[in-house]
Amino acid sequence: MIGTTDDAKDRYLPSVDRLEDAMRAGMRALDAGQPDEALERFNLALKLKPEYDAAWLARGHALRQLKDSEGALQSFAQALRANHESEEAWLALATTLRGLGRRREEVEAYDELLKIRPRSVDAWVNKGAALHELKSFRAATACYDAALAIRPEHAPAWNNKGAALLRLHDEAGADRCFAEALHFDPDFFDAIVNRVLLLQRRGRHGEVVIWTDRALRFREAAWLLYVKALAHLGLLEGTLAVKAFERALELDPKFQEAKEGLREAKGLRQRVDFFRGVYECFGTHEAGDPGCEECEISGRCREVSP
Amino acid sequence: MSLPSLAEVEHADWPTLQRICADLDLNPKGRSGLVRTRVLDHVRRRMRAPPWRAAPEHQAALLTRLGFPDAATGLWERVIRLDAPAPWVGYGAARLAAGEVEEATKAFDRAAQMRDAVAHLYRAEALGARGDLVGAIRSCDAYLEGNLADLRALALKAGFLSRGGWLDESIAVLEFATEAHPGVSDLWRGLGVMLLKARRTKPAADALRKAAKLDASDVPGRLNLGSALLLSGRPKDAIGSYREALELDPSHVEALNNLGVAYLSMGQLKSALVNLERAAKHVEAPAILLNLAKTEEIAKRRREALKAYERILRIRPKDARAKAGRKRLAGRPKPSARTTKARKRTPRRRRKTTSTRDASRKRRKPRKSQ
Repeated sequence: MIGTTDDAKDRYLPSVDRLEDAMRAGMRALDAGQPDEALERFNLALKLKPEYDAAWLARGHALRQLKDSEGALQSFAQALRANHESEEAWLALATTLRGLGRRREEVEAYDELLKIRPRSVDAWVNKGAALHELKSFRAATACYDAALAIRPEHAPAWNNKGAALLRLHDEAGADRCFAEALHFDPDFFDAIVNRVLLLQRRGRHGEVVIWTDRALRFREAAWLLYVKALAHLGLLEGTLAVKAFERALELDPKFQEAKEGLREAKGLRQRVDFFRGVYECFGTHEAGDPGCEECEISGRCREVSP
Repeated sequence: MSLPSLAEVEHADWPTLQRICADLDLNPKGRSGLVRTRVLDHVRRRMRAPPWRAAPEHQAALLTRLGFPDAATGLWERVIRLDAPAPWVGYGAARLAAGEVEEATKAFDRAAQMRDAVAHLYRAEALGARGDLVGAIRSCDAYLEGNLADLRALALKAGFLSRGGWLDESIAVLEFATEAHPGVSDLWRGLGVMLLKARRTKPAADALRKAAKLDASDVPGRLNLGSALLLSGRPKDAIGSYREALELDPSHVEALNNLGVAYLSMGQLKSALVNLERAAKHVEAPAILLNLAKTEEIAKRRREALKAYERILRIRPKDARAKAGRKRLAGRPKPSARTTKARKRTPRRRRKTTSTRDASRKRRKPRKSQ
């Protein structure tokens, strides 16, 4: 037994043994949602090895969980001092800068990362998003193009590019991008919502209803229901508009526009109230389509289709 | 049906898309692009097979069954869409359970419009509950168009036909059903009962015998068979059938009563009385007591008959047949017996006897005038 202990002493430095234990315990605490405990463990690890980049990085994450963004920023900076090429540390640093509203520095952080890793798709996409928020839409589009050149099937890049093009008033280009995003990820909520906003801008009420319904399957939000209700109003569907406004108000009772919309919808219902029956696509008539040719309400549908 | 591949759906022409929709229980109506997206969504969701968790539609279905139709309706309202008929059927079922037949019918209509065949059956049930039997039968027919020999639909249709008074048509449907499903004892029993109602006792007995053969533990089936045999003038066979029923359930009151009646029809008063008394011992039902009273009367056991009539009147004081029986027996007094009884009775009962005497006097009067 004595021999075994001596062997262990020869093989491991006691501090290394304790360092790994502290890191493991810290990560376990972080995963369990106990950032205080985790911070204590990571501090202990850093006492044992002050230039340990993984410990600084983990400490930064613990501090972010504790809402200490400045402290987290310092930790990530220390991690980068220890290991300048750590992609994870650069991304964490940039994300913290974003949380602090320091957009320009965030872009610089991504630039630094891209110097080291020029094929980092996440860096390109995030840099594009930061530039979008700085209202540099053309530069943002270039970033998304760079990301898509590396990974053409990256749905968030397509969606973000669409959003940037929308701000540049290129609706056709934006529509194509959202279509690509939804082709690669049909349940991509953000892309669905962007498409809803584009369709609403184009006054295509029938399609707005279809896509809001789709978005509502993933997340129910008062404003989405409001958009849906407006589309029903455009299609002269009083009852459906009333229902959507009512649901929006159930979710957000202080939604003033929804209250006004509900009044309008009730007024409309007394004048006209179209019943679409089983036709989910009402208001999206397409001449020559076999489904539209068989449709029982095609006359009314043609009237409200743009 | 196995799931089609995404490529297959993406390149499917319109008739193929519609066929796929029908196979996957999806709404086939609408612009082709949208129908295609609907099928693709369905296939993608099924391919991923996420771990099962009770979604709102599952909760709604359970709530309906547990007897909370209003809560179920609320949940269904959140999940129903125009891409699939199944939630409309669930919504309709919840509305039906809440007693809102009109709304339920509308929901089933919607599902039926999406070419959901089963919705026709639910619609039939809703219409039947509303009393629109013709509509219910039509709905059954709509379902049977695509499912010619479906057991549930045929049984429902037969039920509606019989409720509407179209006994012969109901029998015809059940005969067809028994041809298609000869191994289902319930169908044979149903046919037998329907034939009994139509007073076709011989074929009824045949059908009921088949039901009894298929289900050796079927007591009600044997009782019906006994009744059919009794009505077709074969009391001996009827007794055999009732005895078989009593072998399966020795304390079956209805079997004891019917056996008593069968013995009575054969003139075996003693056996009839034994069985009727046993039946009355288990359940003091007015119908059984009336049979017992009448048998006692036939056996000239006046006191016991009177006692049975009194028992009926205790349960149902206004029972006309019991009153008439008591009056009849009081009208044929046996002085010695009555005097003895009157002495034994409490003063209150004695008053009753006096009134009976008065009644008997009154009845005797017209005889004198005749």
